[in-house]
Amino acid sequence: MGITFIDFPWAIALILLPLTGGLSCFLWPSVSKILGLVTVIGVMLSATGLGWLVIDKGVYHYLVGGWGAPLGIELYVDGLSLLMLMVTALVALGVSIYSIHYFELSYQRRFWPLWLFLLTALNALFLSADIFNLYVTLELMGLAAVALATLTGSHDAFTAAMRYLLATLLGSLAFLFGVVLLYHSFGSLDIAVLSERFESNITAWAAFGLISAGLVLKTALFPMHFWLPPAHANAPAPVSAVLSALVVKASFYILLRLWLEIFSQLDTDVDILFGFLGSIAIIWGSLQALRQTRIKLLVAYSTVAQVGYLFLAFPLAEKVGVTAWSAAVYLILSHALAKSAMFLAAGNLLRFGGHDRIADLDRVAQRLPITVAAFALAGVSIMGLPPSGGFISKWLLLQSALVQSQWGLVGVMLIGGVLAAAYIFKVLGRAFTQAPLPHEPGVVPATMEWAALLLAGGAILLGFFASEILAIIEIGSPFGAGEVKL
Amino acid sequence: MEALALLQDVFDILLGFGLLWLAWLALFSLDLFRSIVSFISFGLLMAIIWVRLDAPDVALAEAAIGAGLTGALFLAAFAKLQPASVNGKGSSINPQKQSSRKQLLRWLPALIMLWIASGLTIAILALPPHATGLTSEVTSNLTASGVSNPVTAVLLNFRGYDTLLEIVVLLLALLAVWSIGSSVPSIESEPGPVLDTLSRLLVPILIMVSAYLLWVGAHAPGGAFQAGAVLGAAGVLLVLSGWKLYPGLEGFPLRLVLTAGSITFVVIAILTMLVSGTFMQFPPAQASILILILEMVATLSIGVTLAALFIGSPPTDIKKL
Amino acid sequence: MNTVFLYALVGIGLFCLGLFALIVQAHLLRKILAINIMGSGVFLILVALARRTEGGIPDPVPHAMVITGIVVAVSATALALVMILKVTESSGQPEFPDEESK
Repeated sequence: MGITFIDFPWAIALILLPLTGGLSCFLWPSVSKILGLVTVIGVMLSATGLGWLVIDKGVYHYLVGGWGAPLGIELYVDGLSLLMLMVTALVALGVSIYSIHYFELSYQRRFWPLWLFLLTALNALFLSADIFNLYVTLELMGLAAVALATLTGSHDAFTAAMRYLLATLLGSLAFLFGVVLLYHSFGSLDIAVLSERFESNITAWAAFGLISAGLVLKTALFPMHFWLPPAHANAPAPVSAVLSALVVKASFYILLRLWLEIFSQLDTDVDILFGFLGSIAIIWGSLQALRQTRIKLLVAYSTVAQVGYLFLAFPLAEKVGVTAWSAAVYLILSHALAKSAMFLAAGNLLRFGGHDRIADLDRVAQRLPITVAAFALAGVSIMGLPPSGGFISKWLLLQSALVQSQWGLVGVMLIGGVLAAAYIFKVLGRAFTQAPLPHEPGVVPATMEWAALLLAGGAILLGFFASEILAIIEIGSPFGAGEVKL
Repeated sequence: MEALALLQDVFDILLGFGLLWLAWLALFSLDLFRSIVSFISFGLLMAIIWVRLDAPDVALAEAAIGAGLTGALFLAAFAKLQPASVNGKGSSINPQKQSSRKQLLRWLPALIMLWIASGLTIAILALPPHATGLTSEVTSNLTASGVSNPVTAVLLNFRGYDTLLEIVVLLLALLAVWSIGSSVPSIESEPGPVLDTLSRLLVPILIMVSAYLLWVGAHAPGGAFQAGAVLGAAGVLLVLSGWKLYPGLEGFPLRLVLTAGSITFVVIAILTMLVSGTFMQFPPAQASILILILEMVATLSIGVTLAALFIGSPPTDIKKL
Repeated sequence: MNTVFLYALVGIGLFCLGLFALIVQAHLLRKILAINIMGSGVFLILVALARRTEGGIPDPVPHAMVITGIVVAVSATALALVMILKVTESSGQPEFPDEESK
């Protein structure tokens, strides 16, 4: 037939599989667990297939409907989007395995369709090359994320999710406003066409401001992070994992993509502002994490700090573009795996003790060794210790800063690392001791423990495949010409 | 001729200021009920402006969804909020009660808004007075799209993938509302004789209007979303007059109708992929029939989804498990 | 051509008015009204500027985008309203509990 296996439309499968899976879970709720798992395994296979295709043949283009830009919508996969899709599939697999035993029956039927639609939105977002299509995926993602965040049903969860909803809707509207200005300035919604036609003028500046503001709000960069800690901490554990690992990264990905492809032609100092806010986020988020008495809030504030690191790449990229951006991508990947592992482990501790107060952890290291190992391994990556993905990314960031003698940023990164170690050990230190009030331990199913360890192990393994992953990032050279020296 | 142009300008200015004034009332009127009524009027005025801007498709969508169903949703939420806030700690919604410190804190955002507004004004006025956008691309491919209404061509063919995701957004909203709303009381209204007669009269008319909008959407203003919204309005009227779904249909049949639009979209997308080799590429010869099938099923799903969003609480079948 | 920019400026007015209300109004129902009005402002700009074509036939792509946007807006509104009911149910008032702390 001429169609070989490698040419299978993997990218379309990445959209249609979770979409069909979500619809099926809604139609047949009694088997939603099985349908969900099968779907997520299918997504994993499709991401692998797409990876094979892109590594073998280079950048992947797809004209949806056969029209092509500017009339139709295009899909585009280079090394950057490929890695986002692959990490999404991996986290999705871990979180789905975890969820089988996490939710009670009545929550299973609510969780699976919402979660698979969220996965659809994430995949569609990373595949899209069209800014209005990106807006639709952002809205799909935002609404699904908010709905999932309410699943615990507590008062705090609803208040937090309400704030989250307002923040995400406001962010989307600002983004849409920017899209409107870009369309009416340059007559296209396709990123590549826009990149060609772009010229620096006052309307382009306004579009840049609106899009950046909207996406920064969604990415929760200090001081727009206010909605994140309560929303992430009060969600069910697998949902917290997805929100911190993937949803926050999705808006950052769009910001990065548009910054590189379109707005790089503006002569702006916003990169310095981003670096400044990122620095504050690192220090402030880490200090807040250190102050928390509940594990989930601690982990959520750690996300605020780690998001700060992502924004350090903007000022550093001016001189050593490829290294700084690769560091940011590496951080996205390793943080996605480590943070999802950490939230899942926190969920296990919560299930085990009936609470997540750090001070009252009762000999969990002896009684839940796999969970504590997952937390510790994830912690290694978050702190940036070798060997881990977190180490590679922070090392690359540090290197970019050292080359340019950016001593301020070097200092911030070092302090951030020390503070991260402090808040990780704050939890781990209590893992071995006996609590003043012993309690009846809850049962934690083995799948929930191993799912956390799987993801944490992934974060560590990222530390061993740096040259391979950096080579994948280079496919289609999203960051321009250059080479990363390790 | 000049007098006519002047008249039009005056008309435009009046419409524009009317819109801003209604928005102000909706946002800052002391009485919340009046705010919501102003918001509905705002939507209707918006629909007139869409007509004035030669966007009749948008006008229909705005009148049916923007003003109609969104307004109904707000009114229903307002009605459900009343007992809650009376029982509560006596909420201080009244802005008159706000302290002077808070009044002072309003100046800062107001100044920032003025700054943003002036920046955006400069940005918009800097745009060239003439631009074609994608008009010529749409026009030259219109014959291959299967429909002659360019807006329908964009929605269902050129950018049909957006529309697929958008239908999923609507369905997702219903799933979310059902997931959250299990414990929210549904409206138990006593249908008066007026409402009863009204719905008997209006529902068949609305269903006919919906079918008409669906049919003409191929070549004239209209289409699945407008038709679906009108169908949804018929559903809302039925619910208000005390009509209930036959319990046997509340489970799988209802869920099938709700998802039918998305499922048909996916099935047709996969079929096109098998036939033409490309996702959602409609063969020009079959495009019009495919779009018609898509729109018919989507209209039904959109209508039922919108009505279900208005009811809010899930059917008992969902609650049980 | 005046019509185009007149309505685009009204759109900016709606966007900023809505943003202002979103910040200063405590009642959650009003915040959602504000989001809707901001959205209408963006839609108005989108469609008004689509009329800058020479032939008098407006660009149809923005019209389709706005119809998509209206459906997304009603979906978000429906979700937001049911969440307001839940927040009110537990806290007794349709507002964020610690509005002053911001």
